[in-house]
Amino acid sequence: MTKKKKGANEDKIIETKSKNVSGKSQKQKKPVEKELKPVEEGLKEEDLLQESGTDSDYDGDSLPGSLDSDDFDSDFFDSEDDGTQEGTEDGDVEFSDDDALEHEGSIDNEDDEESEQVESDKGEEDGSDEGSERGEAVEESDSSEDEVPSRNTVGDVPLEWYKDEKHIGYDITGKKITKKEKQDKLDSFLATMDDSKNWRKIYDEYNDEEVELTKEECELMRRILKGEAPHADFDPYAPYVDWFKWDDSIHPLSSAPEPKRRFIPSKWEAKKVLKLVRAIRKGWIKFDKPEEEPNVYLLWGDDSTSDQKSKHLTYIPPPKMKLPGHDESYNPSLEYIPTEEEKASYELMYEEDRPKFIPKRFTSLRSIPAYENALKESFERCLDLYLCPRVRKKRINIDPESLKPKLPSRKDLRPYPNSCYLEYKGHTGAVTTISTDSSGEWIASGSTDGSVRMWEVETGRCLKVWQFDEAIMCVAWNPLSRLPVLAVAMGRDLFFLNTELGTDEEQEITKERLHSGNIPEPEASVAAIVTWLPDELYGGIKIRHFKSISSIDWHRKGDYLSTVMASGETRGVVLHQLSKQKTQRLPFKIRGLPVCTLFHPSLSYFFVATRKDVRVYNLLKPGEATKKLETGLREISSMAIHPGGDNLIVGSKEGKMCWFDMDLSSKPYKTLKNHPKDITNVAVHRSYPLFASCSEDSTAYVFHGMVYNDLNQNPLIVPLEILRGHSSKGGVLDCKFHPRQPWLFTAGADSIIKLYCH
Amino acid sequence: MDVDREDVSRRLHVKFVTKLDSPFKVPVNSVAIPSNVTRLGLSSIVNSIIESDNPEWKTEPFDFLIDGELIRMSLEEFLLAKGISAERTLEIEYIRAVTPRKEEEPSLHDDWVSAVNGSSPRFILTGCYDSLGRVWRLAGSCSHILEGHSGAISSVALVNSNDAETVTVATASKDRTLRLFKFDPAESVDSTTKVRAYKILRGHKASVQSVSAQKSGNMICSSSWDCTINLWNTNESTSEGESVSVKKRKGNNQAEESQSEGEAVTSLVGHTQCVSSVVWPEHDVIYSSSWDHSVRRWDVETGKDSLNLFCGKALNTVDAGGEGSALIAAGGSDPILRVWDPRKPGTSAPVFQFSSHSSWISACKWHKSSWFHLLSASYDGKIMLWDLRTAWPLSVIDTHNDKVLSADWWKGESVVSGGADSNLRISSGIAIS
Repeated sequence: MTKKKKGANEDKIIETKSKNVSGKSQKQKKPVEKELKPVEEGLKEEDLLQESGTDSDYDGDSLPGSLDSDDFDSDFFDSEDDGTQEGTEDGDVEFSDDDALEHEGSIDNEDDEESEQVESDKGEEDGSDEGSERGEAVEESDSSEDEVPSRNTVGDVPLEWYKDEKHIGYDITGKKITKKEKQDKLDSFLATMDDSKNWRKIYDEYNDEEVELTKEECELMRRILKGEAPHADFDPYAPYVDWFKWDDSIHPLSSAPEPKRRFIPSKWEAKKVLKLVRAIRKGWIKFDKPEEEPNVYLLWGDDSTSDQKSKHLTYIPPPKMKLPGHDESYNPSLEYIPTEEEKASYELMYEEDRPKFIPKRFTSLRSIPAYENALKESFERCLDLYLCPRVRKKRINIDPESLKPKLPSRKDLRPYPNSCYLEYKGHTGAVTTISTDSSGEWIASGSTDGSVRMWEVETGRCLKVWQFDEAIMCVAWNPLSRLPVLAVAMGRDLFFLNTELGTDEEQEITKERLHSGNIPEPEASVAAIVTWLPDELYGGIKIRHFKSISSIDWHRKGDYLSTVMASGETRGVVLHQLSKQKTQRLPFKIRGLPVCTLFHPSLSYFFVATRKDVRVYNLLKPGEATKKLETGLREISSMAIHPGGDNLIVGSKEGKMCWFDMDLSSKPYKTLKNHPKDITNVAVHRSYPLFASCSEDSTAYVFHGMVYNDLNQNPLIVPLEILRGHSSKGGVLDCKFHPRQPWLFTAGADSIIKLYCH
Repeated sequence: MDVDREDVSRRLHVKFVTKLDSPFKVPVNSVAIPSNVTRLGLSSIVNSIIESDNPEWKTEPFDFLIDGELIRMSLEEFLLAKGISAERTLEIEYIRAVTPRKEEEPSLHDDWVSAVNGSSPRFILTGCYDSLGRVWRLAGSCSHILEGHSGAISSVALVNSNDAETVTVATASKDRTLRLFKFDPAESVDSTTKVRAYKILRGHKASVQSVSAQKSGNMICSSSWDCTINLWNTNESTSEGESVSVKKRKGNNQAEESQSEGEAVTSLVGHTQCVSSVVWPEHDVIYSSSWDHSVRRWDVETGKDSLNLFCGKALNTVDAGGEGSALIAAGGSDPILRVWDPRKPGTSAPVFQFSSHSSWISACKWHKSSWFHLLSASYDGKIMLWDLRTAWPLSVIDTHNDKVLSADWWKGESVVSGGADSNLRISSGIAIS
């Protein structure tokens, strides 16, 4: 239909243009067309008989008709203004009919529609016209060959032009054809009722006469309506007759060579494909249809949770309005209104307890006064807006408990020290150092008051006191139970004290070891550093160092003892051998100022902690350090080694503690920041999976530190207990575990040693 | 007691019964008493009833039992808790309250009193950190001093008491030895006599912590920090021949005295840490407690441990007693006194736990004749008397100023204790029927 219309339009334009030249040309043209019609009609009849005429003849018929009516319209407009019309017509050609133009486009469109309307009307009329024409022909002569032209020569004009006239047009001679006398409706009805052939009769308005269709014509129309070939004799599937003679055409119809473009792929096609490909790649063309969003939403749902709105970053849903009749409305229900007593009681309340809003009743909206705080509150609101930060505060809705790592319950990790039952009192100065003997029966302590005391663990009884002049720096029991010797460091001196424990034979060996009669001549290399001297005070041996001692550590076999002096390079650490009563220097260089040293619990490794890091040396292989542990701490204060020998704990003066898994890495496996003040000492239990740190904040922390035999499993560290109890002055200076029980000794600056039991 | 004002409905009809003898008896007819009285109220009621009959009556504290349980709350609550009907006439048994009525003068030592023993009714044995043992006939009168040790005495034991003439006493010391002393407690001398050991028992490699004697007095056992329990013979004559008699000249005024040395008959090995306490209540059964958190029962004949109770805490003291001498009480490095019943099958959990102390328990002793009573001493300076029938202490003796290191029953009605305040304290007048 559109195609046909377009074609019609084009035709119309051409014809309009021609008509623009002369308005009268139509009149000249019309007769020609009319003359053609019978010819076509005649042809049609033949076609129907012989060839496939189908219904194209109808189209052909109606087409000129519609064109005519269009012409008429456009003529009418042309007369009004030619120039613009021409332009719009051009536009019509370029775009489709419904393309709107800027100016007059709308009018144009309406006109187009109107004209179409008219056109379709006309088409129908035309049809009826034709019918009537044919019918007339049938009526006048039975043979359809010589069809008589219609009586009326008025042409294809709207018949209402003649509505008010007495004639309907003019015959071929130019005489008026007068209208027939209008029959009375009742009469005509009766006539039709009487006439059995009435259903075949059609009124031809054009010629103003009744036409009766023949049976053949009815049959023809029925067939057309059914969509079949109009003529019954027509065979649509007739065998094809090839009229063209192929035999003698030895040459092609055209001798022109095939053009090149037939052989090469189309450039424009390729471009088009390329364009599409690019569009697909860039995602301009999407193959999957966009999902249709549901058009329904929860009407009464909470606004804040509807995700459609919460997609917007800054969207904050307004609060929902209350239903009418609530207590804050202008005319609330009576039960909201406070009584006089209630109002009086409000007055007695404190300002902050008083209800913010007291409901009131007003008879009409008109009588509501202005809000008295409006100015103040809007000013405050402005202040708020002015002062508030323009950041949307992110509220994280996470349970803080869920962020904590899952740790085993403390109950499952028992026993561990948690409560203090025993105190060892007797020192008069801060207890700087403690040491337990290997059996766990005794504990030795050194204090700033210059005394070394030996206590019975079980009862808290002080058994022995050695009094010196200087503050005690370090005490250390010999790890051998059969050699009950206490090494005591103070100032520049290191004393070996006989504790007089052990059996008689053990005492003899001890005395022999501590016999100062035959001290061998020191080697030249160490003569400047240490001198072995007899101790007149308690009958043992003392070793005088060239600098004050800061730390001592026994080798596990109880013969060697390392001392650390606050001196750089190699001279800072020396090894004393008690059995031979001689001193050795370390067979390697130490970088930096040593802080403390440790012997490996089972192998020949030696740990030296400097201020920043820990180096591991092999005593059997002189040379460079085998390993360097980077602590990342500011200043190391102490270290302790796990009895397995693979895990080292380092405490620092900034309150941090590092756990090194030496199999894992040279970096700390875990760094624990727990003390607000310096860590003074760390300790590891010999048999239980416990370790502890004590600090100047006068607390000691106990941790569960489980080392697994399975190399794939990392050590488990769980904080267990904070041990408080020492007075806050000076803190806890040393902590040591009981060698066999899960108990912790802490030495406080308040001159008390405490024992924490499980 | 103002009974009359009480609501009649809140009254209970009770009948006081007792097994006590004549002066303590009350008429058996029932009386109505208010339901909210406590032990103190009941005691004053009974006292007033007795006083009405006997004008010379001195007020006496009583304890009350209903169905074998001591009343430690108001009568009403007790009945509610036990589900006993308040409708019928209650039968309340009363006993004399187990509490010391008299505090003797303290007997001052030179040093901490580490051990006391009240096995003999004639005297009290004490061991002291000044390495001397002492025999006290009364409070404040020391009759003998047992000297010879070079280290603090940790434990004393009476070896034989059947011999009236002389008694044998064993002491254990931190100098790794035990010594046996003989003296005559009956000899009446005004000044204290110094006694030297007749036998020195060497063999332990570390401090001896505890000593206990067999009933017969022929053998003693000792426990030590070297994780062993040693058994020794006590007889003077060296029948085995292995002990060598050594002659020692001691001083210049003392006569020559023979001191024999003895060696251990056998060692019971099994504990992995210091054996802190040992008792020998029956002929061939030894109980021991250790810092390795276990209590063991040893069969002396075979030398094997037949029972091993694990406790979880380092233990300082153990005693066997109670019903059929079968219950084991032990205390240690926590404030809980535990009582096990090894006859109970299938469990090693303690049947009683008494936890009123606030520090380590240093001693616990069963009463020799009662099935229910035991005492415990703690480093918090308190001695508590316990009855198995209630979870609260019957009485708290708070006379020591410092840690109590040892305590024992004496003569069945007194508690003797020594502690870090260097005093021997005797609390007497405890009525245990």
